Amino acid sequence: MITIEGLRKHYGDIKAVDGIDLEIQDGEIFGLLGPNGAGKTTTISMISGVLRPDSGRITFDGMNIWVEPKKVKRNLGVVPQEIAVYEDLTAKDNLDFWGSLHGLRGPGLKSAVHAALERVGLEDRAKDRVKVFSGGMKRRLNLCMGLLHRPKYLLLDEPTVGIDPQARLAILDIVREVAAAGTTVLYTTHYMEEAQDLCDRIAIIDHGQILTIGTLEALTRQSGESEVLKVVGNFDEAAANQRLSGLSGLRLIRVEAGTVLAGIDATGPGLLEILPQVLGSGLSIDDVSIQKPNLQSVFISLTGRELRD
Amino acid sequence: MAPLKIVLRDLKRMVRNPVRTALLFSLPLMLAGIFSLVFGGGAASEISIRVLVYDEDQSLISRLLGGAGSSPELDRRLDLVPVGEEGFEMMERGEASALVHFPAGFTQNYLDGEPAVISIVKNPAERFLPQVIEEGGRIGAEVLSQGSRVFRTELETIGAMTANTAFPSDLAVGSVASGVNHKLQSLERWVFPPVINLETTTVTPDTADVEEAGGSSILGYFLPGLSMMGILFLAQSATRDILHDRESGLVRHLLTAPVSPVDYIFGKCISVLVVSTLGFFFLIAFGIAAGVNWGPATTTIALVLAASLAASGALVLISSLVGAERQADALSTIVIMVWCLIGGAFVPISQFPDFLRPLAKTTPVFWAVDGFQKAMQPGADVAAVSTNLMVLGGAGVIFLGLGAVALRRRMAGGHI
Repeated sequence: MITIEGLRKHYGDIKAVDGIDLEIQDGEIFGLLGPNGAGKTTTISMISGVLRPDSGRITFDGMNIWVEPKKVKRNLGVVPQEIAVYEDLTAKDNLDFWGSLHGLRGPGLKSAVHAALERVGLEDRAKDRVKVFSGGMKRRLNLCMGLLHRPKYLLLDEPTVGIDPQARLAILDIVREVAAAGTTVLYTTHYMEEAQDLCDRIAIIDHGQILTIGTLEALTRQSGESEVLKVVGNFDEAAANQRLSGLSGLRLIRVEAGTVLAGIDATGPGLLEILPQVLGSGLSIDDVSIQKPNLQSVFISLTGRELRD
Repeated sequence: MAPLKIVLRDLKRMVRNPVRTALLFSLPLMLAGIFSLVFGGGAASEISIRVLVYDEDQSLISRLLGGAGSSPELDRRLDLVPVGEEGFEMMERGEASALVHFPAGFTQNYLDGEPAVISIVKNPAERFLPQVIEEGGRIGAEVLSQGSRVFRTELETIGAMTANTAFPSDLAVGSVASGVNHKLQSLERWVFPPVINLETTTVTPDTADVEEAGGSSILGYFLPGLSMMGILFLAQSATRDILHDRESGLVRHLLTAPVSPVDYIFGKCISVLVVSTLGFFFLIAFGIAAGVNWGPATTTIALVLAASLAASGALVLISSLVGAERQADALSTIVIMVWCLIGGAFVPISQFPDFLRPLAKTTPVFWAVDGFQKAMQPGADVAAVSTNLMVLGGAGVIFLGLGAVALRRRMAGGHI
């Protein structure tokens, strides 16, 4: 189990991480979802023993990574956001080096390298220099380096940034396989769909603080909304506020000129009653879309902003 | 052991990048080749100065002076080409380092005690070699002038003899010889030592000694300095990795493995040192293949290790003081070029103005070049370069230590 208590990191006046508490269970895929700049990478840097926190405690099965770093890191695999591979070396050279740092050698190293390359589908490119790889292949190699020594804990920091959908699906499949084999996974992302599809539990982070934690179902239920309406038309912000704010069972999440996002209270009158009132509110409406609450709407309801803002 | 693995990885990266590695090693070799071609006309040839001799006088003395290169040793150093008036045009075309002109009546004027002029026309495109001729001519003129004053009576007698078509009598010749001998004996105490010194040190050095020292070739003269420059650039390239690793996230990734910041810094420092040392030995081997005699092996090895340590330490320190790869490139290139310029890698320190010479000693380039040149002297051993070894080694350890501490502090401060 990974336990994080009171984790803080400040850069001058900027609170990059501001008091995070988490518990990640063995074999769980735990998602840390938040927009860019929310503090995900700083958090994972501290958890992986690279960046020393100002305060707080991080333990892996009771072992503090800042007290016994080498002992913990032997069981830790990290896949950074950057493609951190040596481009002038071959894929195999990179893995040989990485494996040797984790204490693998001889036939053990050879078979681990072979297995890891096979797992990410790069076995036939083992002797090619990384500089000739596509972005997706480099990402897969990046992942491969984190998996090589079969770690007990795997930390992935936005491992699918900048790659095509096919490569992304391949990486997500590998993460699922690894977790199914018993590895504890901490996965940071700003892609809502990835967190929804992959993670057993999700923590939403913004401005260095955890806003909420739970399963997808619990989080969407937690928002208290049965549906989310997106109203698009030719109106200004004041008019929208004036015409819609009084409607019973409708909670305005975000109001801008031309766009209104609003949640329908799960305990209120319901969509069939509220929708005609919205359409008859006198606003010049061009389009109304209805969606089930998801992490996006949860995030919006918690912060008033969209996840990708 | 993590540091060793980092060193091996860096060496593997060099092997995987043969073109980049070859380019790095080739820089000092190319410069040495260019210097040799410019000054000597051949990659590893000995210094040979092409001098045009325009002898309008066609007398005994002018032919003696103009034929100075006929001695076996000078014959190798001077390529004396007898020319007529066309010599001036040849000089304009830059076909020789200098032209020495003995005007008509030179000998007669000399014997008569009248002002006699030897003209030297220098090639403006060359710096050192024409200067050698000019200095040589100046010494020759000084010797002749002093001779003219001391042996005035005898020279006038000889002048009268040469003016006469009849063969001089034994008595007249004997009288001149006796007079010269008598004056030489009386002047022996003052005149001979400096003349002898002059000849032995600058005109007729012992051939065997010079060949053993290996310092008579242009390549042998410039290669130590240019090698040091090459090693500094090699160390610059190796330390650039530290910043590249940091900027590309490789250090952050590396520290997620069971590798401490100290392991990483130690590994990188050793790696830079190993790369620099290997590069230096490569350049030494090239020099040997090209005929340069570096001196005793132990002295050379000690100097290579000390110079590589100084170069590595200096570049690690620079890279630890700046925040980005491009800043480090700019700063280290400036430092390397300034050190090479004032440390004597391109121009001998003896050519520097007085105020600049003490500054040279503040650079590792000076101590390396000075050490290698000392090692090239006959009979030089490790003791002869002990000061150089101590300065280079000491500076290297201090630079490396400060650089490692600065890198550690940066990493502790989150700059990774």
